[in-house]
Amino acid sequence: MAKLTIDELRKKREEARKGIYLRQGEFKGKIIVHMGTCGVAAGARQIVSAFMEEIEESGRKDVMLTTSGCAGLCSREPMATVETLNTPPVKYIDLTPDKVKKIFKTHIMEGNIAAEYAIGIGSERGG
Amino acid sequence: MNRDQSRKVGSAMVVGGGIAGMQAALDLAESGIKVYLIDNKPAIGGVMSQLDKTFPTNDCAMCIMAPRLVAIGRHKDIEVITLADIEKIDGGPGNFRITLNKKARYVDEATCTGCGTCVSNCPTSNRVQPVQKEKIELQPEFKEKVIEIVESNKNRDGPLMPILQQINSAFNYLPENTLNYISQETGYPLAHILRIATFYSAFSIVPRGKHIVNVCMGTTCYVRGSERLMERFSDLLKVKPEETTPDMMYTLKGVRCIGCCGLAPAVMVGDTVFGKVTIKDVPDILSKYKKTA
Amino acid sequence: MAVRRIDLMLCTGTGCVAGGAFRIKDTIENEITKYGLQNEVSVVITGCNGSCGQGPLMVVQPDGIFYGWLKPEDIPFLVQEHFLKGRPVKRLMFVPLERKEPVPLMSNIPFFQKQMLIVLRNKGIIDPEKIDEYIARDGYTAIEKVLPLMKPDEVIEEIMRSGLRGRGGAGFPTGRKWKVCSDERKFPKYIIGNCDEGDPGAYMDRSLFESDPHSVIEGMTIAAYAIGASRGYIYVRTEYPLAIRRMQIALSQARDYGLLGKKILGSDFDFDVEIREGSGAFVCGEETSLIHSIEGKSPEPRQRPPFPAQIGIWGCPTVINNVETLATVPVIINRGADWFSKIGTATSKGTKIFSLVGKINNTGLIEVPMGIALREIIYEIGGGIPKNKKFKAVQTGGPSGGCIPNNLIGLPIDYESLTKSGSMMGSGGMIVMDEDTCMVDVAKFFIQFTNDESCGKCTACRDGSEALLEVLTRISEGEGKEGDVEFLEELGLAIKDASMCGLGTTLPNPILSTVRYFKDEYEAHIREKQCPARVCKKLIKYYVDPDRCVGCLLCVKTCPVSAIKGELKYIHIIDQSLCTKCGQCLEICPPRIAAVTKLTGKEARELQSLPGPIPVAEWKKTKSASKGDFRFTPYREETDREHRGDNEVP
Repeated sequence: MAKLTIDELRKKREEARKGIYLRQGEFKGKIIVHMGTCGVAAGARQIVSAFMEEIEESGRKDVMLTTSGCAGLCSREPMATVETLNTPPVKYIDLTPDKVKKIFKTHIMEGNIAAEYAIGIGSERGG
Repeated sequence: MNRDQSRKVGSAMVVGGGIAGMQAALDLAESGIKVYLIDNKPAIGGVMSQLDKTFPTNDCAMCIMAPRLVAIGRHKDIEVITLADIEKIDGGPGNFRITLNKKARYVDEATCTGCGTCVSNCPTSNRVQPVQKEKIELQPEFKEKVIEIVESNKNRDGPLMPILQQINSAFNYLPENTLNYISQETGYPLAHILRIATFYSAFSIVPRGKHIVNVCMGTTCYVRGSERLMERFSDLLKVKPEETTPDMMYTLKGVRCIGCCGLAPAVMVGDTVFGKVTIKDVPDILSKYKKTA
Repeated sequence: MAVRRIDLMLCTGTGCVAGGAFRIKDTIENEITKYGLQNEVSVVITGCNGSCGQGPLMVVQPDGIFYGWLKPEDIPFLVQEHFLKGRPVKRLMFVPLERKEPVPLMSNIPFFQKQMLIVLRNKGIIDPEKIDEYIARDGYTAIEKVLPLMKPDEVIEEIMRSGLRGRGGAGFPTGRKWKVCSDERKFPKYIIGNCDEGDPGAYMDRSLFESDPHSVIEGMTIAAYAIGASRGYIYVRTEYPLAIRRMQIALSQARDYGLLGKKILGSDFDFDVEIREGSGAFVCGEETSLIHSIEGKSPEPRQRPPFPAQIGIWGCPTVINNVETLATVPVIINRGADWFSKIGTATSKGTKIFSLVGKINNTGLIEVPMGIALREIIYEIGGGIPKNKKFKAVQTGGPSGGCIPNNLIGLPIDYESLTKSGSMMGSGGMIVMDEDTCMVDVAKFFIQFTNDESCGKCTACRDGSEALLEVLTRISEGEGKEGDVEFLEELGLAIKDASMCGLGTTLPNPILSTVRYFKDEYEAHIREKQCPARVCKKLIKYYVDPDRCVGCLLCVKTCPVSAIKGELKYIHIIDQSLCTKCGQCLEICPPRIAAVTKLTGKEARELQSLPGPIPVAEWKKTKSASKGDFRFTPYREETDREHRGDNEVP
């Protein structure tokens, strides 16, 4: 490996930051894909992959993707909850990879709720 | 022999500044006689100054000697002449005439405080004198490895510690012949190498077992009962701490804190650490190593 | 770099590795591959997380969920539930003792909440074997700033203003040390990172090497630049194989990147570091002795001055800093001396790492601001004393330190207040002791340690420690005389005055502080011949309480010397003449039975064992028939009688 100069070190740092952003704890958006048995059966794995592709494509490092259990509305799975900073979480239903693309674009990137796929705003408490 | 005692001289000479000579000089001086205490060494004290304990009372040698050294140094009637040999004795009892050959030392005795700094800084004193002319042959089982270690470290700054460490970890101990070899190759006196080899607790100059069982004796482990673990290991292996089993499989050792205080009491076998060890776990730990034996 | 969903921060410090962390890593990786999650979930091995009592442990990021006490058999369930289905597993989470509910988030665990991470800023967040991860966490930014923008004098000025003091124990101002060395006109100069962490009970340096080796390298490079050194050594204990390996990896990575070697980052500054191992001698932590050890001379300390900063290794000016001090340096450069000097107390700035160990619920490494009260450390971070025992004292500063008793629990922790209380900062070991710890025994332990480790150069230290040990042993064996305590104090003070290096001048501290705060315990040993904490072997007896014994044979089978007589359903009897007081019977006796007890003092001397085997049932009957004043013919052992001939049974 060639010796680094200061500029190369800085570049390296930018590059390396992408590798550990999950641990930095600075997130503006959070996507929760509900993966109970019903969700998995309805194809939630695909939804997770779709969201991951979107995040990768957009290059955003401040979006957290996690999974959680069944949201209780098993008939409308796959579902996901999308939450951005300072706004209430929104639940989306009957997802497909295409819908994911749109939701990611309008909600995460632009900050508007993709109302046509949403079922409700706010989250149930507890559990 | 000249028996003319009409011109008696009120002085005496004590030859040899060992403990006996020192006491004699003191006794004489206390009786009012001027004493010349001579010794051919650079300082008085003799063999006793090199002893730790004396037989049979196990008294501390230095404790017996030190007050006398001080007393002699302070006594107005004792003159200490060191680094001197007797050349010639003339005259007879009561009136001897003695010629001494006093060697030069280039240090002003009157101002020297005996700090020893000149010794450690002397550019020639630490150089080894090649006593053994022929090259030391290493035993075949050590030869290749030792030569490799010595050659790879020889030209570093301060090569002794890395060489000893690597040899110690390769064979679990420092074979004696190897130390001779190191001395020859690096120029450190053998006495110095032995001093280093016996100072550190990680080194051993006697063969040790294949597995070294280190029971941590750090404070935390101690408070949490590592002493009893040690006893249990000792029972099972039938050796005392710091000993090796006859089949050369295990050496039992107490070690100063392996830094696993969160897991106290801890035991380290080779490089593997076992934490929160209870007395019941001891046979299991040993059985793990039996298989590989 | 591919996007991942989850990073699993698996702790692989020595503690967790001992608990099987690498087995767990393999299991997790297998399971993840089984579910096809390998592109979404990555397992990152980190250095010591600090909470060693919970190991092996893992933190799931980005959620920050903390799992402790992991076992390989739990992993398949965990992977399926949490990583696949997104349901964190409560069963494996940390449950604080005072609460019943598990605490899922690491940030909510009190042990982590109260801490302030400066030196350990990267612990559990980066993989110590990957330089890129350190760089990503603002690593090497300090060098980036120092090399082109600051003059060596400015760096020293900055460190001086920050008020940073040596973390190795003595607390000498780091900036001043650098200044002395940089004023020397002799070249070359050297810098040495001291990681010869000899104090038993302290392991922060080891942990630092295992979790963030690059911060030490960066700090050393800055120090070298400031004083004008071009070579450095890291002196590390041979007992820390993992730490040595990680540091070697880190050094070679830094060399690859040109952060060590010739012309660092395109500047004119050259610097490289070499690791030297110790070989198990406590005295090598002393700076002059450490230098002698590297040089291959016999590792005895020498008289100072001249200080190593003037005449050090190979006769050249040398700065020796503790590695914790060095790891603090980059942060000070990055965030400024003003920021740093706001943390802590008037004389002690910044944070200090302590290893909180011993009889405490949450053992582990903690980094706290200077001036924090001892109470906060023990009860809030440490979670109190296990089994509801009473807190007795905390021992700080290793063998050179002392014990701080219960009534000083409000003491703010900084260099000065610790010294005033008769202890010292030392390298930061905090060993908590409860009512079951005998202070005479503790003092004896430490004197044994220093007596063993004394290099033998000064008579006061070599023979003085021997004499102290002799008296302490006498006291702990019940042979103490009036005046012994005063003798200990007098001799202790004399050793303090007459020794040359730090080892000798501080070795009486454990005695002086325990005599100061726990004189009653010494007196109990001397006058009543009893050990209140029931530790000193010669003063206690193990005894099976016939009222509680159920005759289960557990202790009979365990006893290594077959001193316990008994048959199934018969009350077991300990033959005191055979008993070696190893305590294994006490440990094996089930807690709900708790028949084996320890007796001391008068109780032990007047102990009357049962004359012979009695069935448990019969004992209960006779006991109730006699309404409690049933008396047995006393059973006395030959050896016992010899010891106290005057104490004949009527």
